[in-house]
Amino acid sequence: MRQARWLIALGLTATLPRLGAAQDPRLERRLDSATFAALTPVLDSAQASDLPLEPLVQRALEGAAKHAGATRIVAAVRLLATELGDARAALGTGSTSAELVAGASALRAGAHSSDLAQFRRRRGAGVTVPLAAVTDLVTSGVPPDSAVAAVLALVALARDDQIVDFRRAVERDIALGAPPAAAAAVRVNAAVREFSQNTPGNQPRRP
Amino acid sequence: MFDRDDDVLERVVDRLREPIEMDPTLDARVMVRVARSSRRLDWLTRWWDWLRQPREVSIRPLTALAAAAALAGVALWLGTKTSTQGAAGLADTTVVEFVLVAPHAATVSLVGDFNDWDAATTPMHPVKNGSIWSVTVPLPAGRHRYAFLVDGARWLADPAAPRAPDDFGAPSSVVTVGG
Repeated sequence: MRQARWLIALGLTATLPRLGAAQDPRLERRLDSATFAALTPVLDSAQASDLPLEPLVQRALEGAAKHAGATRIVAAVRLLATELGDARAALGTGSTSAELVAGASALRAGAHSSDLAQFRRRRGAGVTVPLAAVTDLVTSGVPPDSAVAAVLALVALARDDQIVDFRRAVERDIALGAPPAAAAAVRVNAAVREFSQNTPGNQPRRP
Repeated sequence: MFDRDDDVLERVVDRLREPIEMDPTLDARVMVRVARSSRRLDWLTRWWDWLRQPREVSIRPLTALAAAAALAGVALWLGTKTSTQGAAGLADTTVVEFVLVAPHAATVSLVGDFNDWDAATTPMHPVKNGSIWSVTVPLPAGRHRYAFLVDGARWLADPAAPRAPDDFGAPSSVVTVGG
């Protein structure tokens, strides 16, 4: 019995540093005690699941800066943690924090987990910019399926900066009055033709 | 031919049959070595047995607390080391210019994921008679949420950038920096 008590005590002391790591001093400074207390189990759970904590901390700090209530901050952080977990399940455990954030945004914009997996298969490493482009196109009014199809058509052919240029061109066309889905389709056809003739391997990279 | 070979063979056999003079201390030296090696094995066996034996351990609470504090110290030191490495990684950044047209503003701050959403960290500077506010910020690769805070109270999204989903009732924008 005495031995069991000691074992429990030792186990608790060994886990203290791990639990403490989720208690970011920035949150302690900027959140009121009730919000901080409500947020701690969400962050501990995310840490136990090996999710990146920094995006979650930043979302909480955004809420604090905008004077949001505890319920709203905790809900936003919890939702982001779920989305990061879903993004990791689709993109793979080796994904970077930036990729998971971009994947989480794409999922919230309407992309499916299977779409994210396709991006990973076609691009390999570095899917942050393509996934962000999908989200931004959807925000501009392009239907999610069209946005995914358009960027997927480019992802193996184009560099990151070319994907950003494509996204900007579509947004310009939409601002000038073009229907979003049509703007994406026209621009992606032109880009695929251009990049297929002039594959990335044959072009000098920008510094 | 055979005779000659037999001769050689006979000489070799004779040579092998000659008695060899042994070092008189050889036996003693061998026995010392054997004893030493057996002592080493004994020592290892005893340690292994000691390690395998279950035994009661009593620890003073003060000792346990000291051990826990030492563990926490090591964990904190490792954490600091990791964040220092993270800061060194900021060398791989892209400089991004943020611009806002706000002719009647007294102050404008750029606030976002890259400055812990702290309004005091990145004040923007007026250009062109104070109607345009601008600032440049080095950003690491990734997708960053941000907003402009005008006169310390009014949140504005960047009209030149995609909007971020609004979780808190005030607009934000996003900028993506390629890796």
